[in-house]
This record gives sequence, structure tokens and C-alpha cells, in this order.
Amino acid sequence: MTDKKTRTLFIVPYLLWIILFVILPMLLILWYSLTDSSHHFTLNNFVQFFRNGIFLRMMLNSFWYAFLITLVTLLISYPAAYFLTRVKNSQIWLLLIILPTWINLLLKAYAFIGIFSNGGLFNQFLHLFGIGPVNFLFTDFAFIFVATYIEIPFMILPIYSAIKDINPAVVQASEDLGASRWQTFKYILWPLSWPGVESGIQAIFIPSLSLFMLTRLIGGNRVITLGTAIEEYFMTTMNWNMGATIGVVLIFLMVVVMLITGRKRRRKKVNL
Amino acid sequence: MNIIELKHVNKRYDDGFVALKDINLKIESGKFYSLLGPSGSGKSTILRIIAGFSQPTEGRVFFAGKDITDLDPAKRQINTVFQNYALFSHLNVFDNVAFGLKIKKRPLREIKPIVKDALKMVRLEGYANREISELSGGQQQRVAIARAIVNEPKVLLLDESLSALDKRLRKEMQFELRAIQKKLGITFIFVTHDQEEALSMSDEIFVLNNGRIEQNGSPIDIYDEPINDFVARFIGNSNILPGRMIKDYEVEFANQRFKCADAGMKANEKVEIVIRPEDLDITSPEKGKLVVTAQTQLFLGDHFEIKAVDADENEWLIHSTNGCKLNQRIGLYFDPEDIHVMRLHESQKDFNARLESYEDEEHDND
Amino acid sequence: MKSKHFVAKFYLIFVLVVLYVPIFYLIYFSFSSGRNMNKFEHFTWMHYQTLFQDNRLLAIFLETILLALLSSLIATIVGTLGAIAIAGLQKKWQQKTLLALNNVLIVSPDVIIGASFLIFFTALGIGLNFGSVLLSHIAFSIPIVVLMVLPRLKELDYSLIDAARDLGANNYQVFSNVMIPALMPGIFAGMFMALTYSLDDFGVTFFVTGNGFSTLSVEIYSRARQGIDLEINALSTVMFLFVLLLVGIYYFITTRKGRKGRKMVGGLIK
Repeated sequence: MTDKKTRTLFIVPYLLWIILFVILPMLLILWYSLTDSSHHFTLNNFVQFFRNGIFLRMMLNSFWYAFLITLVTLLISYPAAYFLTRVKNSQIWLLLIILPTWINLLLKAYAFIGIFSNGGLFNQFLHLFGIGPVNFLFTDFAFIFVATYIEIPFMILPIYSAIKDINPAVVQASEDLGASRWQTFKYILWPLSWPGVESGIQAIFIPSLSLFMLTRLIGGNRVITLGTAIEEYFMTTMNWNMGATIGVVLIFLMVVVMLITGRKRRRKKVNL
Repeated sequence: MNIIELKHVNKRYDDGFVALKDINLKIESGKFYSLLGPSGSGKSTILRIIAGFSQPTEGRVFFAGKDITDLDPAKRQINTVFQNYALFSHLNVFDNVAFGLKIKKRPLREIKPIVKDALKMVRLEGYANREISELSGGQQQRVAIARAIVNEPKVLLLDESLSALDKRLRKEMQFELRAIQKKLGITFIFVTHDQEEALSMSDEIFVLNNGRIEQNGSPIDIYDEPINDFVARFIGNSNILPGRMIKDYEVEFANQRFKCADAGMKANEKVEIVIRPEDLDITSPEKGKLVVTAQTQLFLGDHFEIKAVDADENEWLIHSTNGCKLNQRIGLYFDPEDIHVMRLHESQKDFNARLESYEDEEHDND
Repeated sequence: MKSKHFVAKFYLIFVLVVLYVPIFYLIYFSFSSGRNMNKFEHFTWMHYQTLFQDNRLLAIFLETILLALLSSLIATIVGTLGAIAIAGLQKKWQQKTLLALNNVLIVSPDVIIGASFLIFFTALGIGLNFGSVLLSHIAFSIPIVVLMVLPRLKELDYSLIDAARDLGANNYQVFSNVMIPALMPGIFAGMFMALTYSLDDFGVTFFVTGNGFSTLSVEIYSRARQGIDLEINALSTVMFLFVLLLVGIYYFITTRKGRKGRKMVGGLIK
């Protein structure tokens, strides 16, 4: 490749970026979580976090919602991804699925303010069945629904490419060896597409913990997730130290999630 | 008893491509068969129809006398060794081989000895806990075979199974496949485009071209008595020349008349003659039945390959243990039995009937 | 076989309907003379007229695009050089460490990035305005560019470079005439993704922007919090068309080059 001197030159702006915008901000957020408003070292923020039921409930809430969002997204996306690999012109279908991700997220959220309103599309639809009007806007259901809506393409894509990479002969081999469709799915398709599912989960679960704009616009002006709480502490009450503490907890949880989904399964050995 | 029979099988694809045209074949129990042909000849399509991955557009498939045309692959007593093995990469060797048994919910204590035997059969004892990714191509091939035979199929289908292996390993696996087939005593149907492979392993070969069976028979029959120039060219190198049958046991080509071993044709009928390059012996111009001029010569290790032309500008390919001088007249000698006469557009049935009508007991055709 | 395809198509159409209903719902009501998204009153261009006379919104629109272009360009340069530097590192652990640090901003939630950048800018005394937003957008776009360029570098045929050397090219010529063209698809994809990241970002911008500067996302957010305003619907129509145009251009360029349809669509996802 190019010689040493130019390579050093290449790496300078990049390293500067890493130091200034990756390492330093992380250290700063950690520092803020460990100090009080007059910059004295304290563990008080964390004590408060874990003593105060509100924070713990919020944490559980965040997890529960993120879990629900991820699960529902997966249930809708897996069949879609599978079918995508089976239809003709899958490239065009794929393009149509990706296209909505390009529309600004805020606009899509805004659309749901109209759709979920008492006279909106959703209630008009329910009215056909003689139900309603039900107040959806500013409910947890609305939050989960919209979050799922936004994440679906991000789940479909990694699963689609994982399924597409499976050699079709493997599925035939399974049938050839006597497996039913369900058995082929359970023992072959699902485990082989798991890497795609895994990256889908990672791409959705973690951002779901911090969708504060959705909770504000759709979920009502309530603090229900860790993301909303961070925004509240930084932008409204201006208690950055507590905000940073919640941030550190969120980072910690994020790392845990990644370790859990990323672990390698160990195989038990057989003796013949 | 025929274990598998295809009756009038046709296969057309949606785009209009005709993959198979009126295929009729009978497969007997316990023999080693090869489906041989160039790519696109329909050999893999036949295999997929027998396995059940593909349905014929017309015609029926029978297994031990029962119509299985519409039966699921999962319910057929037929297993397949796939082209690139199609091993389950997320499972280790044991779980791959045990797959068919686990699907049937057999208890582990029954599965273990069966898997052990199967791995022993393919000479992979002690590999049970290996990951697929840790195996070489040849070993993966063996796992694929072991996986297919634990279900105790009556027929094992092998789709271009050796094509991914290097030449040396391929030779080795050819011997081994034949040995495994003998030991199991079941029918193997082997798809290949490699004529050497088909010749060395099979009890019977079906030569396919353009969705039709051109010829079937034992390797020796097919090599020695190709029915037409496609088979003659596809099975080994050949010298093929237009000729004319003067009368029984006498044929004319290259403007000379020769004694031959074929009969049963009309006088003066136009034919094609085949002489295998290894049947041509180099001798002096005076002793030769034909006189040619050698043009190029390649040393191929165990023999020389010589290209020569005769006075009529016909090209001759000669395999000889000794080389010759280039650009000099040499004589070619061959026996009457080395000349194979092919009638134009003769069907396999007529061909067999004609051969039986005059041949003595040295060949046994069925 | 036929019925299976039918089920597949039916399900995919269902998913597509779900994905597109909100977008077309917005567009539909942008032509309504009413004040809400419940009942279509009369057809009107009124909201588009308001939109195109809204100087504040138009200025924000242009600034958002300027921000996206500028940040993606700088991020592409820094990221490409960074990727080349990473690929050139001899020690495995150095590569791994840099890649791990590189991915921090990709996996972090927006709020964390936004909050930590807010602390960072305040600590350094940098004012919250166009500059801070630009720096933030560059910062979160760099790792994407690196990830798009690196695979290309791994696939790079090094005999090409040797060949160029052998033919007498100097370092600069090797770099500009051999390496950069070979990396171009990755660089292009990286820049494109950086562009869309920037255009679409709300979470980070929301934290690091001050009174003087706003992007479209932030503006839509603050307006949407006031309730329904059909001018936003009109804006959605314009942006939808804008996106179609961008996709069209991207599609045109990538299919013309190389015809790698699969990679192309893969590159479209953010």
C-alpha cells in the first residue's frame, strides 16, 4: 500500500475524530454521572436511580416496550422476509419496502397523530365493525404500534439477506431426509437465518429504548422510557448529572443486550 | 423387479424450455447406474423427478411398482447426496448424520449406533463431534453420504457428487462409492458429466442428450458399440468418418474397403464408422492398412497423442505408447473388430435387435 | 406451487399497504381544505401556497440540505482515509480496537449520542448553532463511511497496486489512479448513507442545536407538537417526491455502473 508517512497522515483526522467524538463524550457522560451540579465526585446519582422506584419502573417499562416492539416487528417481518426470497422480482419488492424508511421519521409519526385521532382512519376502520370511537392517541398502544411500524423494514432486511444466503439445496436435503415443512423450518431455516434475526433484534431493540420523540408525539407527553427521561433531564429540568446517570445505565443495558444476543451457543458432545 | 420405472416422462418449464422428452427407463434393484450427459441434457432433471423435488409435466414415476409421481420427497424411500453436499452448516457431523433419524423421533440410544455404523461405512469414525467447516471437501462428501444412508433408502441418488473434488480424490472416491454400494446392496443412481467416472463405476449407463436417452447399456457396450456419433464423441475420443456399407462384414471409408465385424444393414447403405484412437497401431507405411502423415504429437505421460491426416484430408487421432517422427508417412493398422459401424438415426431397440441377430456369445446384451 | 406464490404476494402486499398507508394518508389530506386529517373537505392547493410562501421553512429546508451535503462530504473524506489507514494496520489488535471504537456511535442510541455531544460542546465552550450541528453530523456519519469502504478494501486486488507500481506509478498516482477508483462504489455508498443519515436525523440534532438554527426534522417535531397543521402534509408530499427523485438518481447511477442489483438495494438501507 502507500508508504508509512502518508498512512500516518491519513489516520490523523480519523484518530482525532475517535478521540474527540467517541472517547471524550463517553468519558464526559461518565464524569457527569459521577458528579453533582457543583462538580464534586458523588455516587449519589446512582443511589438515587436504584433507590427511587420511578426510575426502576421506567427501566422495566423501557425494556418491556422495547421487547414488545421487537417481538411484534419480528413476527410481522420474518414471514415477509421469507416470502421476499420466494417471489419473482424480489429486488423491486425490496425497494418498495425500503422506500418508506427514507421518509422522515417525524413525518411518519405525525401521520399517526391524524390516523389515531378520534375521527381518524383507525377509528373509521373500527367503525365499520361497530366499534369505537376509541381514543388511541397518547396511549402506550399507539406508541408500540408506531414504533413497530417504523422498525419493520429494518427487521425485514437483515432476515431477508440471511435467508437468501441459505443454499436452497439444504432445504431440499432436509425434506429428502423426511422432515416436514414445520420441521424443516424449526431445525434448518430458523437456525440458519438466526444471524439475520439477531442483527435485526440488535438494530431494533436498542433504538427502541430511546424513541423519545415518539413518546412525546404519540405516547402523550409522559415520561415512560429511559430515552424520554434523558431528554427530560437534559432539555427541560436541566439536571445533566441525573440525565447522564440514566444514560450510563442505558449504555450498560445496551452492552448486556449485545452480549446476550451475540453469544455463541456451545454444543454438547456425543460419545459413540 | 424394477425398483424405479419412468414411463413417458416429459418435463417442460414455464418459459417453454423442454428439459425431458419422453423418457422411459427402468432401474433394477441393487445396481449402480449412471446418468451421463453434458450440462443441460436433462440428467439432473431426471434425478430431481425421482427424488420428488420436481414433478414431470407428463408421465408417471413408479417405485417398486407403486405410482409415486405426486408423493412428497419426505415420504419416498429415496435419499439424495447433493451436488455441493448441502450439509447443515449449523450442525456438527453427528447431528447432520442423525438428522433423518431425529426427525423420525427415534430415541438417542437407537440413533447413536446407527450413526456410528454409517460413519464407519464412509471411513469417518471419530469425526462425530467435528464441525462441518472443519472438514475437507472429501470428508464433507462422506458426511453427505452417511447422512443419506442412515435412513436406509432403497435408492441413493448422487448428483454430480464428485465434481467438486480434485482429480486424485475423485479417483479415490470412485472406488469407495462402488465399495459402499456393494456393501449396502442398494441401488445407486449417479449423475455425472464425466464419462470416465461413469465408465469406471457403473453397471449400466444412460447417455443423455437434449432431454433424450441416446443409449443405455453396460460401460463396455457403450464404449465399444456407440449407437451414434454423439455417444461416440461423448464417450472418449473417437475418429468418426462417413462411410458406406458394401455388404455384410465389409465397409468402405477413406476411399478404401475394409473387413469389419458388423452386419445386418442394407447394401451400399450410408453409415458412419468409429475407430477409437487407442485401437490404431503405428507401423510402417507398407504394413499399414491406411497411410497417414503425422502432424502434431503430445506426450501425455502414459501415451502419446498424435494427430495425423490421410490423403483425403481426414484427421486421425492416435494414442500410441511409442512416439513417431513428425511430417513423415506412417502406416496405421487395426483389426476388423476395431471398426464400429453406426447406422444413421437407428433407434436403440433396432440397434439391439440387429446386434443380437448376428453376434455370437462373446457379447451378452440385455 | 401457484397457491404458495399467491400467499407470499398477498402477505407482502399487506405489509406494503401497512407501510404506505400513513404516507399516502398525509399526501391525501395535503389537498384538503379542512383543518384536520379526519374528513376530506374540498380539493385545494392552499397548503402548498402557504408552504412555498413560508420563508422560514424554506430557509430551514435549504439549510438542512446544505448541512447534509457538507457533513456527508467531510465525513466521506475522513472516513475513507480512516478506512485505508485501518486496513493498512499491521497488528490485528490495533485494527480490532479501532473498529470497536468506530462502531460505538453506530450502536449507540440517538439520545446518548445527543446528550454526550451536548456535554462535550458545552465543556469546550462551543456555541450551539450550525457549527455544532455540522460537527455532530460529521461525527456520526464517519463510522458508516468506514464500514462501507472497508469491505471494498478487503476485496481490493493488491496485484493491481503492484502492477501500477511495476508500471512506474508513484505513491500519489497509485492512490488516485488505482485505489480510489477501486474503492469508489464503497465511497459512493458511504457518502450516500451519510447524506440520508444527516437528512433524517432528529435525535442528535435536537440535543445539539440552539435557538439560531433548526433542521427540518426539528422543525416538524416542534410543529407537530402543536397539533395538526396541513402545511406539514404539503411538506410531506414535497419530501416524498424528493426522496423518489433521490432514489431514482441512485438507482440510475448504480445500475449503470456494474449492474450489481443486489448490492445496490442493500446499500439503500440506512
